[in-house]
Amino acid sequence: MEELMDLQQEEFEQVQYIVIRFGEEVFGIDIKYVDNIVRMQRITRVPNVAPHIKGVLNLRGEVIPVISLRVKMGLEKDEVTKTTRIIIIKLESGDCVGVLVDEVLEVIMLDSNQIEKVGYNSKETVASFLFGVGKDAERDRLISLLDINAAFGDKEGLAPQ
Amino acid sequence: MDVTQYLEIFLDETKEHLQTLSDQFMILEQDPENMDTINEIFRSAHTLKGMAGTMGYKRMQNLTHDMENVFSEVRNNTIKVDGPMVDLLFQCLDALEEYTDNIANSSDEGDNDNEHLIKALNDYLEKKTAGGEAAPASEPAKEEPAPAAAEEASAEDVSDKAKWDQIKIGESETSVLSEAVSQGKKVYGVTVYVQESCILKAARAFLVFKAVEDLGEIILSEPSAQDIEDEKFEFDFSMIVITDADEEAVKKAVMSVSEIEAAYVGAMEFGQEAKAEASSDTKEETAVQKAHPSPAAPDHGAKNGAAGKPAAAQKAGKPIVNRTVRVDIEKLDVLMNLVSELIIAKNSLVSASTQEGLETNGSFNEQIEYLESVTTNLHESVMKVRMVPIENVVQKFPKMIRDLSKQLNKKISLQMSGEETELDRTVVDEIGDPLMHLLRNSADHGLETPDVRLERGKPEEGTVFLNAYQDGNTVVIEVGDDGNGIDVDAVRRKAIERGTITAEQAENMEDKDIVNLLFLPSFSTAKQVTDISGRGVGLDVVKSKIESLSGEVDVKTKLGEGSTFTIRLPLTLAIIQALMVEIGGEKYAVSLGSIQTIEDVAKSEVKLVENKEVMNLRGTVVPLVRMNKVLDIESTKGPDDNLLVIIVKKGDKLAGLVVDELMGQQEIVIKSLGKYINKSKIISGATILGDGEVALILDTNALI
Repeated sequence: MEELMDLQQEEFEQVQYIVIRFGEEVFGIDIKYVDNIVRMQRITRVPNVAPHIKGVLNLRGEVIPVISLRVKMGLEKDEVTKTTRIIIIKLESGDCVGVLVDEVLEVIMLDSNQIEKVGYNSKETVASFLFGVGKDAERDRLISLLDINAAFGDKEGLAPQ
Repeated sequence: MDVTQYLEIFLDETKEHLQTLSDQFMILEQDPENMDTINEIFRSAHTLKGMAGTMGYKRMQNLTHDMENVFSEVRNNTIKVDGPMVDLLFQCLDALEEYTDNIANSSDEGDNDNEHLIKALNDYLEKKTAGGEAAPASEPAKEEPAPAAAEEASAEDVSDKAKWDQIKIGESETSVLSEAVSQGKKVYGVTVYVQESCILKAARAFLVFKAVEDLGEIILSEPSAQDIEDEKFEFDFSMIVITDADEEAVKKAVMSVSEIEAAYVGAMEFGQEAKAEASSDTKEETAVQKAHPSPAAPDHGAKNGAAGKPAAAQKAGKPIVNRTVRVDIEKLDVLMNLVSELIIAKNSLVSASTQEGLETNGSFNEQIEYLESVTTNLHESVMKVRMVPIENVVQKFPKMIRDLSKQLNKKISLQMSGEETELDRTVVDEIGDPLMHLLRNSADHGLETPDVRLERGKPEEGTVFLNAYQDGNTVVIEVGDDGNGIDVDAVRRKAIERGTITAEQAENMEDKDIVNLLFLPSFSTAKQVTDISGRGVGLDVVKSKIESLSGEVDVKTKLGEGSTFTIRLPLTLAIIQALMVEIGGEKYAVSLGSIQTIEDVAKSEVKLVENKEVMNLRGTVVPLVRMNKVLDIESTKGPDDNLLVIIVKKGDKLAGLVVDELMGQQEIVIKSLGKYINKSKIISGATILGDGEVALILDTNALI
């Protein structure tokens, strides 16, 4: 019964996504994970950690690591521009991480039937960070939806020794 | 009744009482006649029984009940305490601890009835009965005699029980009493006995007072009303009442309160001469009264559930009332965080005030300085609140050593000093296991067997010691023994055998370094694995625990004379004084506590030893660490500039950290880098500077 209810709920479930841009590609992040969006600020480098960890920043007295998803996904390096933002994401474990993005575009609402799940058998690294692709019919574009816990839930902070 | 919400209080207080029992048993072993100790044990056992009963832990209740019974007899001098009995008591204590642990883990006491202990306890009681004593062993609660017995009570007995005639009446009371009598009122003395099983004596007493006050006026009570309210009475209290009602009515009023065992009411002939008469008056009364024991016993459990435990705790409390408040450690953490925030804000203000272009006047700076001193004091106060004496941890060691001494067949005396030394609560909670481990190590491996000791001309009884003291910003705890010491050659052989080091390395290593190999994982030199230690999970666990608390552990040993483990722990983990330095344009903090000196070294003074840079610091060769290389960044200094060297120490080792610039001393708040960035070895944390920037804290210990 519970399962059925879940299913029914899922059918009508609408989820809000924050649409962000890396280069030319757009990604969506489930809004429930987003704690805050801040402008680019000074990031303190942490020596001897993995390359995708850009460093740490001070968010209202808390020290939060900042991650470059581009480096992690194997895209070219970040370029800091006027539109660069840091999205502060609260993981299910309760830890916060900041993610550098090229631009924050908008917030959209996606029905669950507008989302196509991707298989995990894809060989691309990028794909393993996604849980689906959203079809934005209005603007006729595809939005890659990030699987937050897969993308940031690991703890490979330390550089391989 | 749902008692789960009291579980935590129950556990807290049970632990306290178990500790009291443990301490008192130790005293009892030395001094079996000590009446204070016996009373204390009786009270603790009694309170535990009441608490366990309220919470519905029947097995625990049974065991404590029997312990209480035995002690009731000891109190009455009908049983003598002897060695086997103390052993038995310690076993009971272990059983109680097991119950408590079970309750803590699963809120269930487990199903171990510990029948052998209960039987052994009852054997003591039976032995006593066999010795021809009057009272049946199973009924040690003297104040609860059977009706028949009460009937036979002698006149003396009754006057003993009607304690009210012993109340001293002062002048002012005498005048009040005579006044009352002249108005035709009656004056009664009342002595009330509360059931021994009652765990809310003060509340019962209060109800008695209330019931009596409905009938008349209470002039005096013994003990005083305040003491009764604070439960500073055994099981009886007396009072003098002025009333219009008759004796029977007063008695009825008193007995209407549940858990009252008996009430003795008698007409009071105030004045010096009438006491004898008064007491004989009460004789009949008492005999009748005694026939009604515990009218309301069945509902007591339910009624007392809520307030039972605090009251029970008070009962065994020390005579001096501590003016303390129990505070959840989490609340203190919140407070500490707020203080940290405040210090960061203050730092921002300080850095803003020194900024160019900002017009500041003298009074502004004065206020900033004032703010600084206030925040520093506030920080210190909060730190103090979080500090607890290590006593809480070390007080269980005497019993442990006693047990070990029996187990190992060694005579061991434990000498402790500095139990009052205080550490942050979080540190104290963690330090217990490592200390226990070191003590066990000392007792097991350190101390020789008695015959070996005698052979070596040492006293038969081995000494294990634990000394704690504060040393500047750190607390030092030394644990050691006067035993065999560490056989460095044995360690060396073992290390080679295990492949930890090569024979060649072993040749070149100093004894000190060899001994430090003991802290490596799975390195145990004990020839045989014993129950106590020697499973190879010892010293490395100790070391990693201490290091996780930002402390360090060191060992000094002399073969044949014993060894000493020295633990150093920082007083505080949250806010430290630090020296801010610049390396390659980045800011880093170095804990001031680890800095020895700062040197300006000319390029020419740097020498190469084994291709490593060293400098000569007033006769000592100190290795240099180029921080820019460690941190993987370009130095802002030219290759021929003088070197700025911070000499840091770890134990008695020194190292020189080469940095670019010094920026000054600052109070910094340590923030964790979070779980996401696995702590990089050389970074111990981060802090937020006045301008909001994050600076990393260098872990100098990792660099030496």
